Amino acid sequence: MSNLAILFLILGLGLVAWLTARAKAAGFQPVGGIRPHSRPNHHGWYVALWAIVPALIFLAVWSNIAPGLTMAAAIDTPAGATLPAAGMERSAILAEVRGLASGRVQGGFYPLAQEMVPAYQAAQTRYGIAAAALAVILALAGGAFAFTRLRPDFRARTRVERVVMIGLLVASLIAILTTIGIVGSLLFETMRFFSKVSPVEFLFGTTWSPQTAMRADQVGSSGAFGAIPLFWGTIFIGAIIAMVVAIPLGMMSAIYLTQYAAPGVRKWMKPVLEVLAGVPTVVYGYFAALTVAPAIRDFAAFLHIPGASSESALAAGLVMGIMIIPFVSSMADDSIAAVPQAMRDGSLAMGATTSETISKVLVPAALPGVVGGVLLAVSRAIGETMIVVMAAGLAANMTANPFASVTTVTTQIVQLLTGDQEFDSPKTLAAFALGLVLFIVTLLLNIVALRVVKKYREAYE
Amino acid sequence: MNSPIPVPATPRTPTDWNSPAMQNRIRRRYAAERRFKALGLVSILVSAAFLAFLLITMVGNGARGFTQTEIRLPVDFARSTLMLDPAALKGFGADAALAGADIEGVTAAAADAAFGDGGARLLSDGAWLSVREAIKERPEVLQGKADIWVPAATSVDLAAKGDGDAAGEAAYARLKAANAVQTGINLTFLTKADSTDPTLVGIWGALKGSLVTMFVTLILAFPIGVLSALYLEEYAPRNRWTDLIEVSINNLAAVPSIIFGLLGLAVFLNFMHLPRSAPLVGGLTLALMTMPVIVIAGRNAIKSVPPSIRDAALGIGASRVQVVFHHVLPLALPGILTGTIIGMARALGETAPLLMIGMRAFLASPPGGITDPATVLPVQIFLWSDEVSRGFVEKTSAAIIVLLVFLLAMNGLAIYLRNRFERRW
Repeated sequence: MSNLAILFLILGLGLVAWLTARAKAAGFQPVGGIRPHSRPNHHGWYVALWAIVPALIFLAVWSNIAPGLTMAAAIDTPAGATLPAAGMERSAILAEVRGLASGRVQGGFYPLAQEMVPAYQAAQTRYGIAAAALAVILALAGGAFAFTRLRPDFRARTRVERVVMIGLLVASLIAILTTIGIVGSLLFETMRFFSKVSPVEFLFGTTWSPQTAMRADQVGSSGAFGAIPLFWGTIFIGAIIAMVVAIPLGMMSAIYLTQYAAPGVRKWMKPVLEVLAGVPTVVYGYFAALTVAPAIRDFAAFLHIPGASSESALAAGLVMGIMIIPFVSSMADDSIAAVPQAMRDGSLAMGATTSETISKVLVPAALPGVVGGVLLAVSRAIGETMIVVMAAGLAANMTANPFASVTTVTTQIVQLLTGDQEFDSPKTLAAFALGLVLFIVTLLLNIVALRVVKKYREAYE
Repeated sequence: MNSPIPVPATPRTPTDWNSPAMQNRIRRRYAAERRFKALGLVSILVSAAFLAFLLITMVGNGARGFTQTEIRLPVDFARSTLMLDPAALKGFGADAALAGADIEGVTAAAADAAFGDGGARLLSDGAWLSVREAIKERPEVLQGKADIWVPAATSVDLAAKGDGDAAGEAAYARLKAANAVQTGINLTFLTKADSTDPTLVGIWGALKGSLVTMFVTLILAFPIGVLSALYLEEYAPRNRWTDLIEVSINNLAAVPSIIFGLLGLAVFLNFMHLPRSAPLVGGLTLALMTMPVIVIAGRNAIKSVPPSIRDAALGIGASRVQVVFHHVLPLALPGILTGTIIGMARALGETAPLLMIGMRAFLASPPGGITDPATVLPVQIFLWSDEVSRGFVEKTSAAIIVLLVFLLAMNGLAIYLRNRFERRW
């Protein structure tokens, strides 16, 4: 019996337990003038939980150990005794046995695997029936135990609610687990990387050429892991070009929408900006590669700029800047709205025009909030992947020429991990080291940004 | 600022606002005002123009991806080398009989006969599939001649859409003169999966992969997100643990998506050995990414339910769990659902983490379940955008249109929910 079938069986038993317990509790009469403590539903849930939870825990444990047991049974046959003791061939044969038994693989490669399949399938059936029987026994035992405890004065609700609270707590712990998972996996792989390449070379080296030599005599595969050109490319595209586009456009859009625009205009233009934020980045990337990049290359050729590439930093940065506009604009919007009305009124009463009020009073007062917003936008831009993967190049150049090709951290992560290579090579591990740097930098930017914004909010409250 | 204003020794004469100098100054200030306002208008128009340009480019390129040029191919089955008995094609055995026949050769021969030497190159590589379908539908054509509409090759297809090269244009003109071309809706595109020939590609494989992945994401992220939002907002004691959970969630919402891809690769693939390229792993990864969004939206929705509701429920004897699950949660649900849909829309458009866990394989058939290899819409767009053949440009844009339609529908649903059900207290 498959695990899914057992799962449905358990859930069915749980439903039966819920219905019977509820029916029994519905018949409870007040004892000595005191009504039953809990409602019939709670009694039902109490019994159902006792029927389901132990059986589910058993099933979870079982589904982890069952494949090993089944395989052990298959190996413990005359055919299995002739298996090679270790190495690639053994695991290949075992994988084929699994594939043949499940029907995923048609016609195997190893005759030995064919011989082992009947034993494997027999063990699978045997263990499946055993698991189903055990699960049913557990469910019935749990349900029966709980059922005998039902009394009018039994506090079923309290117990059910305790389980609910545990469920809520577990759900919220998943966020911490995810964070630990991210930090742990990145740190672990980075440590392995640093055991092969020194951290100093990685963080301060200026040559990036991750192709490691397959053979000793191969040419042009130095395997240099100096990430400075990547950091520069990331900053150049994400923090310089994109911000040069996004800050003025985003700020002015926010100012126009909040200070000048008629309500009708605002009603229509605000969603337009939101749509800009909702377009998937792969669409921006395609647009940058298909339309913007060739236009910029032609423009550069027209101006006779040397080193112009069809994968220019400018194309990626420009499109990324457009993508960031809504973030900057909504941050600026929030911080300008938080400036006390009295300051605006005071300035206007002194005879300043609206634009003078904005540029001399509102924006300076809102500056910390705007700076925080820009920092968040930068962290967003440097973590952005698809636009740079599709529109920026792969050449690790250190150049300030916006028409030339540069590469970024995220581009290289994708590049390093989307080929076929063994998992232990420094090339693959380098991606995790880059990921760790990216994670730390975006985290710091976010923390600083939130601090700045919070301080500023407090100043006006 | 606060220093006392020095009082001038001599009484000042009032400013003459009508003097030319003052008038000039006021004019300058008003001009600056108008310039500033115009600058604001220009910057918002630039953003809107960019969006319009992007959409027009995509629709302009992509609309053609939904149509397909077909060529009328006269096939003389009776004289062909095809040894097929029409009787064998009725009932079972039909597929087996067709599989053994050289339909590909017959189609090429028919094309050469009809359109001169090299005629076969005018047809798509999959033209013989249409011929096979025609035979399967009406086995009696085998006894005589039949005109069968088959998809055209990429060069002819592009020429018919006004974007071809010289050779394609010439071939198209010749076919047009023979009245042997027509343009129809490209059903292949809506029903098939990836292919190496741009005339045979379809979006359904990637779309189904996206739907399956989103399903996994939703059933994981929604309950976990809602439950943690409830815990943090309603029950959590103020202590260091709760702070830690809150900080984690806020940070996770800001972590670049590619980092989640690295997490998925290291934990789900290399540590837990889940199947590579599967919607299960994609859904798990995207669920971890979407969950913080749902938690944050959920907490805001729960926060906006007024305390009087809780007090009233507590006052008539409800337990704290009953207060939350009978009153707070139903009232907050529209807000939570809006946040969930927006988070799911973001997950639907996400590409980078799925590239990391290998959902970029070439797959010629849609996935059958959550553990089959699959690809998703945005990744399919990325893969097609890398193709060299020019026929893929319109297919990529068409796929983008499909993706944008889905996103638009989801966001529209979110806005509708917000307007229809959300209550202002």
